[in-house]
Amino acid sequence: MVLIPLYALFLAGVFVVMRQPPERFGQIMRHLPMPALMIVQFETMWNVARGGQVQVGDVAPDFTLPRTDHSADVTLSSFRGSKPVVLVFGSYT
Amino acid sequence: MYEKYGRDAAFFVVYIGEAHPSDAWQLPSNIRDQVVFESPKDMTSRSELADICVVRLGIKLPAVVDRFDDVTERAYTGWPDRLYLIGTDGRVLYKSRPGPFGFAPSELEAALTRALGPAAK
Repeated sequence: MVLIPLYALFLAGVFVVMRQPPERFGQIMRHLPMPALMIVQFETMWNVARGGQVQVGDVAPDFTLPRTDHSADVTLSSFRGSKPVVLVFGSYT
Repeated sequence: MYEKYGRDAAFFVVYIGEAHPSDAWQLPSNIRDQVVFESPKDMTSRSELADICVVRLGIKLPAVVDRFDDVTERAYTGWPDRLYLIGTDGRVLYKSRPGPFGFAPSELEAALTRALGPAAK
């Protein structure tokens, strides 16, 4: 019976970690053995923890960011009234 | 998708903080594939790694680099990866679930074809 509250505590801890900023999340996860993640509903918890504030129908947060080829800056709002914009967030690793 | 719809929609990769850098939660698969990089320590090194990413992965889409304070990533909760479609009215038409599990290009394409209407055909 003691295992149930311990498991619940572990789940709560993992969820709290998932809510941390990416760098903090990564620093904690590096110390967590992979098999420990096999006993949690990682994807379900991840979807909730990383749900985010912006929702479909909201005005997209504007940004101006430099192109990787340094050719120009890109401002999201400059496409209003002309083209829809696809954004692919990601990194190399 | 970019080649198919690139004339009717704007596409951008938004390069953000590394998902599995060598100084944090590094994955064995990245070691095997020799994709081993530390977290960039400033904007210059972030831009350099973004360049490497675009070149080595052969990314054809235009790419932009998030600022070092991750302001765009935080606004969109884009880490570790995520897809969005923004309509011509500036509103969010599609938001994927967070990656890697929720990274679903087929969902994005369906939303894009709806947004473009007859122009998508």
